[in-house]
Amino acid sequence: MSERKSPLKGRKAGDRRVRVERPHSAYFRYTGPGQLVAKPAANVPKSSLGRAWSRIRAVTIGRPLATEEEIGERLSKKKALAIFSSDAISSSAYATEEILRVLVLAGSGIALVFSLRVAIAISILLAVVALSYRQVCRAYPSGGGAYSVSKENLGAIASLVAASALLIDYVMTVAVSSASAVAQAYSVVPALYDIRIEIAVVAIALITTANLRGLRESGNIFAIPTYLFLGLALLMIGLGVARVITGQAYDVQQADAVKAGSEGIGVFLLLKAFASGSVALTGTEAIANGVPAFQPPESKNAGDTMIAMAILLAVLFIGITFVSDAFGIQPTLQGGETVVALVAGTVFGHGSILFYLFQASTALILFLAANTSFNAFPRLAALLAIDGYMPRQFAFRGDRLAYSYGIVLLAAVAAILIILFRGDTHALIPLYSVGVFVCFTLSQIGMVRHWHRHREKGWWYRAAINGFGAVLTALVLVIVTSVKFVDGAYLVIILIPLLVGMMLFIHRQYTSSRRELAIKPGYVAEPPQREERVVIPIPGINRAVIQAVNVGRSIADDVQAVFITDEPDDATEVKARWEEIVPGVPLVVVESPYRALVGPLAAYLDVLDAGWPADKEKPITFVVLPEYVARHSWERILYNQSVKRLRSALLGRPHTVVVNVPYRREDPETAQRPATRSDTP
Amino acid sequence: MPEADIPSFNRVVIALNGGTSDGPIVALVSRFAKSGTELIAVHIVEIDWTLPLDADIAGHSEEAQRVLDMAEAVAEDNKARLTPVLLQARDVGAALVDEASERNADLLVVGMPYRKRFGGEFAIGRTIPYVLKNAPCAVWVVREPIPEETK
Repeated sequence: MSERKSPLKGRKAGDRRVRVERPHSAYFRYTGPGQLVAKPAANVPKSSLGRAWSRIRAVTIGRPLATEEEIGERLSKKKALAIFSSDAISSSAYATEEILRVLVLAGSGIALVFSLRVAIAISILLAVVALSYRQVCRAYPSGGGAYSVSKENLGAIASLVAASALLIDYVMTVAVSSASAVAQAYSVVPALYDIRIEIAVVAIALITTANLRGLRESGNIFAIPTYLFLGLALLMIGLGVARVITGQAYDVQQADAVKAGSEGIGVFLLLKAFASGSVALTGTEAIANGVPAFQPPESKNAGDTMIAMAILLAVLFIGITFVSDAFGIQPTLQGGETVVALVAGTVFGHGSILFYLFQASTALILFLAANTSFNAFPRLAALLAIDGYMPRQFAFRGDRLAYSYGIVLLAAVAAILIILFRGDTHALIPLYSVGVFVCFTLSQIGMVRHWHRHREKGWWYRAAINGFGAVLTALVLVIVTSVKFVDGAYLVIILIPLLVGMMLFIHRQYTSSRRELAIKPGYVAEPPQREERVVIPIPGINRAVIQAVNVGRSIADDVQAVFITDEPDDATEVKARWEEIVPGVPLVVVESPYRALVGPLAAYLDVLDAGWPADKEKPITFVVLPEYVARHSWERILYNQSVKRLRSALLGRPHTVVVNVPYRREDPETAQRPATRSDTP
Repeated sequence: MPEADIPSFNRVVIALNGGTSDGPIVALVSRFAKSGTELIAVHIVEIDWTLPLDADIAGHSEEAQRVLDMAEAVAEDNKARLTPVLLQARDVGAALVDEASERNADLLVVGMPYRKRFGGEFAIGRTIPYVLKNAPCAVWVVREPIPEETK
């Protein structure tokens, strides 16, 4: 790895020194004996096309980051509340409306009477779920996602069900939050309704780009919109409640309200309203997943934050529902204002600065909620890939330390959903809650098992809390699935087993390939004992072929060329010239009257194998393919099509090694020199 | 030392001896270096008189390469840019002074371990006295702390 130079003279006579070149230093750095680390220059593409693509990537997603540049920020409770709770808290922006949209079928008066009760019931469920997840924070300081908890306590299948449900849940979070954020925007500017799909898709693309650049869930950039929304929402509720207490509440007149039905209230309608409003619980598990990101004592801080988040969410949810009931606010027709926008408009005054600020903060927190999935989905996909349940690409981190494959897949699926469901939040909601409650239930059952196995002090009390949570969330899962089945929940019911099946299939493939590639303990590789022979399929006689013959001769003494042709006249001429130019290397001519190339060559190799003595081990056959490399990438389509076919056909052949010998046209002068006769491959 | 009293240097040559003091010295100089300061780390492999001076020794020595690569990494960690130079010479002191002189360095930093002769007296060796006597620029000698067992 070095070159020498002539000695340099020193200041005193006789003093000499030699500067030693270090050619490796531009690309590598020694870190130990025989151990090198690649520098960024080693990743710089050599071709102009590659360099141009690299520049485009640098502009759009930023310069590549080294693994050691990853920032592991520990979060305070205040910051963690903002970062991990945006998904859960933001659901208060649409949960009330989802209840009202169901109950309005029973008549507008009934809807208003029962919506608050349904919201309180959901908040009680939220309290149970939050208490249960507080236990998860305590038991899993390294992060207790439903997948990890289920894997440890319930086995592979249950964990894959949880993982599938979580993956669906994350996709739905992006789709629903983006659609709802855009709905907040067109509540203020109705003209945006017509381009809602485009806005949502562009927003997802922007969040994707930010995440591919390595955006982290950290810093004040995430805290500001969350606390702005919290502050304004609490102010709105406070002002609304004050007006109700002081008797200033009035029925808001809405021209575009959804037409009230006359079904009358029934158990099914109430359960359906409960199921629809349960979307408020989505994102509750985010804190339990992110325990390691908290400042020490991690588990306690995460548990406290979980309770604070649940209280805030319940206050917002019940508060918004109460104010909307008090002012007789009803959901609007497609394209109209959202319920939360109507509440804000009624309390702050339509057109007031506070109204616009609230709408902007609502849209922002919803986009932040979408962003939380962009962190969670790729991490879960990477965990699954490491465990062998998803393709390994999902565990690779891109230039910016982001799990690029997971990010792109999530964005693509969410964008497709937005397009398919025409950016309609209410159409997407039925698909949302099923996955969430599957995760809740499996996670809580897993926790019961955990406490039972570890039997720490007071385990029965903790197991009882999680057990109650499991029973309650399982019950809600049944309700959500049954009442929303025809509205779209059936898709999730079909999708979860499909995803589990796909993951099991991938796992089986990886397990079998690992078993095949495994080396027995104590095995020591000996030098090869098998005989070797070289077969060179040639398209004619040219420099690339001669180079391939020379490479073949360096591999083994047993070398032969094979010329497959459908023109017998050509064969005679080529054979005569071959003997003249390449003496000592036999040329076998195979006439192919049906003009096939791959088949006759494979058959010829089979014949060679069949002719090998039965008592000897089969030799390794090196098939050396001469390949002409064009100078420009656009030229490459003109050459080597036959080589590509041969290569792919021979790849799986036993005892066969395919060797490509590229002939590079680097020197224009050499290329212009007339050859005796050239047949391009 | 107050900030205003720290002299500024444009080009600093740091001599690396392959010992444990190399990393801390490079880190120290990198922290003191201002944004325009050029850092040059020099590692010299002494060639025995039985071999030609241009014998292929240092280029094939992973250890010599590692010494310089480590210095480069330490400088990068401290947000400084460092040029590594690998030399072969008969005498380390002379080569160091010549290299610093040719590169117009205004500071030469040399590290030294704390060691004693057999008689128990502190031994400074021959390279540092040579550098102190002959270097055309300022010289900064950084001695390692006295090891616990020697105290």
